[in-house]
Amino acid sequence: MTRRRGGRPLVPAYLSTGGVARPSRVHLERLSVLTGSGEPAPADLPAAQAALLEELEYGALTVVEAAALLRLPVSAVLVLAADLVDRDLVLSRAPIPPARRFDPDLLKRVADGLRDLKHR
Amino acid sequence: MLKGLHSELAAQRTRIDAAAQAGMRGATREIQAALYRLQDALRGLQQRYDDPELAQTLFALDHENEQSLRRAQIAAVVCGAWVGLAREESHLVDAVTGGQARLAGYRRVRVHNHLAAGTALVSHAVEPVAIIVAELLDNALRHSAPDTDVVVNLEAVHHGVCVTVDDAGLGMTQDERARAQRMVAGSEPILLTELGDPPRMGLAAIGQLTRQFDLSVDLSSPSPYGGVRAVLRVDSRLLTRIDPEELPPAASAPRSTRRAERDAAGGAAAPRNAEAPAPGGPEPTPTATPRKSEPASAAAPARKPEPTPVAPSCEPGPASPAASAGSQPVADALAPEPPSTTSAHTSAHTSEHSPTGPDHGHGFGSDQDDQASTPAPGHHDHRDSGGLPQRRRRSRIAPPPDASAPAPAPAPAPAPAPAPQRRPRRPEESAAALGALQSGTAAARFAARPNTGAVPAVPEGAPVATTTDEASDDTDRDRNDHEGGTAR
Repeated sequence: MTRRRGGRPLVPAYLSTGGVARPSRVHLERLSVLTGSGEPAPADLPAAQAALLEELEYGALTVVEAAALLRLPVSAVLVLAADLVDRDLVLSRAPIPPARRFDPDLLKRVADGLRDLKHR
Repeated sequence: MLKGLHSELAAQRTRIDAAAQAGMRGATREIQAALYRLQDALRGLQQRYDDPELAQTLFALDHENEQSLRRAQIAAVVCGAWVGLAREESHLVDAVTGGQARLAGYRRVRVHNHLAAGTALVSHAVEPVAIIVAELLDNALRHSAPDTDVVVNLEAVHHGVCVTVDDAGLGMTQDERARAQRMVAGSEPILLTELGDPPRMGLAAIGQLTRQFDLSVDLSSPSPYGGVRAVLRVDSRLLTRIDPEELPPAASAPRSTRRAERDAAGGAAAPRNAEAPAPGGPEPTPTATPRKSEPASAAAPARKPEPTPVAPSCEPGPASPAASAGSQPVADALAPEPPSTTSAHTSAHTSEHSPTGPDHGHGFGSDQDDQASTPAPGHHDHRDSGGLPQRRRRSRIAPPPDASAPAPAPAPAPAPAPAPQRRPRRPEESAAALGALQSGTAAARFAARPNTGAVPAVPEGAPVATTTDEASDDTDRDRNDHEGGTAR
């Protein structure tokens, strides 16, 4: 159906960020969810940032998903996303923590406490 | 006598030079292969680790490696070797940005891409173009002040594509320019001993490549910026086309500045349309982002599915979406569209579109999509990651078209056949159907309730043994309530 991109990539990843790998903000993670803010993009946006913004046009993506779609390493996408967040073009949300089981002891103590209140 | 001596000397010199070139070829080939292996290792690490400090080091190493690779490669090319790397056909802008990335001062390079999206190079021309662009840019960067930009323009010309490199540097004198022009023409054999010490290989390598690959480089005119203007012309025989939907150019490659022409080309290129019926949709342009804010008009500039040429005739469209109009959106999306109507019809489309805006929320566009054997136009097949499941992007579904506007395109041929069986449901109809279903289930449930004993009676009758039991009962009741709620 579609051809797979094979072989050696022609454009190295460092070009996308101008050689920068330290994001301007550190709270972004692999699973942070990025959403376009709907602000009109300025015309002078660097190509890679524009490409990321354009991917987000279709809906929210996590950083890793965006990296896969753009065929860039996660470290580069973190930089791009941080720059876009700084310019208020993208909103980021912390990753949803994995669901954990509640502590049964705690629940039991709460239930006991409630029962005590009821009987009082 | 003197003449004989002279010719003998020249022949000797050529022979010695050929031997030197052969030795150098062998050595550089090895180095080049080793550097490619190093590159693979570095890129593997980049993919695997995203710690900023480590990534910074890896980026720096990758860049250093690219520069060494470029040196080894041009040395090999000057000595008459092959470029050393087979590539598959690639976007021309990728080759240019790839060349740019091989230089130390790549941040000073500004690439402006005025080509139609999808302009690509045939496989054997990719690496030569990247090398030539890298060398031209290297000269430009070297001979201009560090605070000036080097401007690259990619433009389509009659017989192919031109890559113009302008620098705002010192420029060249007439003699220098004539010598450079001779070098890049590649008509004279190269002697390593004539390249100076250290050898200046850039122009010589360009000369070798232009001779081998039928490219042409021109250095004869001064740049309007005051420096040198170098023009690489790629003949149309070396050009091909890649569907930018299937294989988009690299993320860091500048997007095409041609919007209007590109949309028109997307409508006119029928075979490409058949594969990816949303040609204009996800086109990369910075100006495309405002679409997001208003979804009703979002589809309008992106894909104009109905070629209804007269704007006013669109107005009664949403009021009477005729049944026979079944598969028109799909068929029309596939049909070639006259580019002349694009602008008039974007506005028409938008105005017609907004009343039916809420339709996009419902999924019943998928009924229409089934009629076409091609992928649904709403879900544009953006790219396939090799058989892996892919996230389906938010669909952009064509609104039911106006019946009074006949489709001028060759669309009607497939349309009438499937239309009677599966016409798209109108929102009122689907609402009525769902409402009937819900009231039916609600009535049945209501009738069943007294017979089997009331549902709320069950938890009361059951022994209240543990908290978990209670919890499960609660959830049951919740669910019942919820279903009842939806039934009403």
